[in-house]
Amino acid sequence: MDNKHTLNADHWITDYSDALFKYTIMRVSDTGVAEDIVQETFLSAWRSRENYKGIASEKNWLYTICKNKIIDYYRKKSSSIVEYAEADTSAGIFDENEHWTKDTAPKEWNINYNQTVEKKEFYSILEKCKSKLQQMQQSVFVMKYLEDLDTEEICKVLGITTSNYWVLIHRAKLGLRNCLEKNWVNL
Amino acid sequence: MKQLLNITCKKATYLISLKEDKAIGFFDNIKLKLHLGICSVCRLFEKQSWFIKVNTRHAHENLDKTLSDDAKEKISTALKSIQ
Repeated sequence: MDNKHTLNADHWITDYSDALFKYTIMRVSDTGVAEDIVQETFLSAWRSRENYKGIASEKNWLYTICKNKIIDYYRKKSSSIVEYAEADTSAGIFDENEHWTKDTAPKEWNINYNQTVEKKEFYSILEKCKSKLQQMQQSVFVMKYLEDLDTEEICKVLGITTSNYWVLIHRAKLGLRNCLEKNWVNL
Repeated sequence: MKQLLNITCKKATYLISLKEDKAIGFFDNIKLKLHLGICSVCRLFEKQSWFIKVNTRHAHENLDKTLSDDAKEKISTALKSIQ
C-alpha cells in the first residue's frame, strides 16, 4: 500500500505528458490517436498503481505502459489492413532492369553520415516523411527503427511473414530516403 | 558464374537492410560485397540507410511538438474522475 503514496498523479501531466506525447506522435503520426494513447497511458498507470514496484523510475514505468499501448494500436490496425500486398512502391525508383534511374539515384548529402543530427527541423521532416509511407510500411518502420523490436516479434504483432517484413522494410527505407533527400537535404 | 553473382541495385538495397540487421546469408553477403565494389550509388545508399537507422532511434526527443492545453485539461479531468 505504501506504493500508492510514492505515485503522485497530479504531477504526471505537468512532468510527463509532453514527453509521452512526443514519443507517441513520432510513432503513430495522428494527433488525435496520440492524445488518446497518452490519456490511456495515465489512466492505465493509475489503475495499476498497485503493481508499481518502484524498481523502474516513474518515468520509465509510464514509458513502458505507453509503448505497450502503441504496440496494441499497431496490432489492431494491422488486422484491419489488407493493403500490404499493395502495389510495389519501389517501382518508380528502379528502371525495368532494376537499376537506379537518373532522377531517383541517391545524391551526395554532403554531411557526415556517422554523426547524429542536432537540428530540430530534421526531426519534423523525418516525422512528415514517415507519415507519408503506406500504413504497413510505417508500422514495420516504427517497430523496427524506433521501438527496436526484433523481427520475430514484429511479424507476430502484425501477422506477417518474414519475407513480407523485409519487403516492407526495404520499401519503407527507399521511400523515406527519397523523401528526406527532397525535403531536408535541399533546404 | 558472373550471372550467378550479379545482383541488381534493387536487390542490393534490399540486402543492405538485412545486412544492417545481421540477417544476411553467406552467399548474399558475397553478392552484396561484389555489387558495392562496383556500384557507387548503392554505396551511397548504404551510408544514408545507416544514417536513417541511427537518427531515427531517438527522434522523438528532438521533436518540436507539445500536447495542447485542451488535451491536457481533458486528461486531467479523466484522471481525476477515477481517483
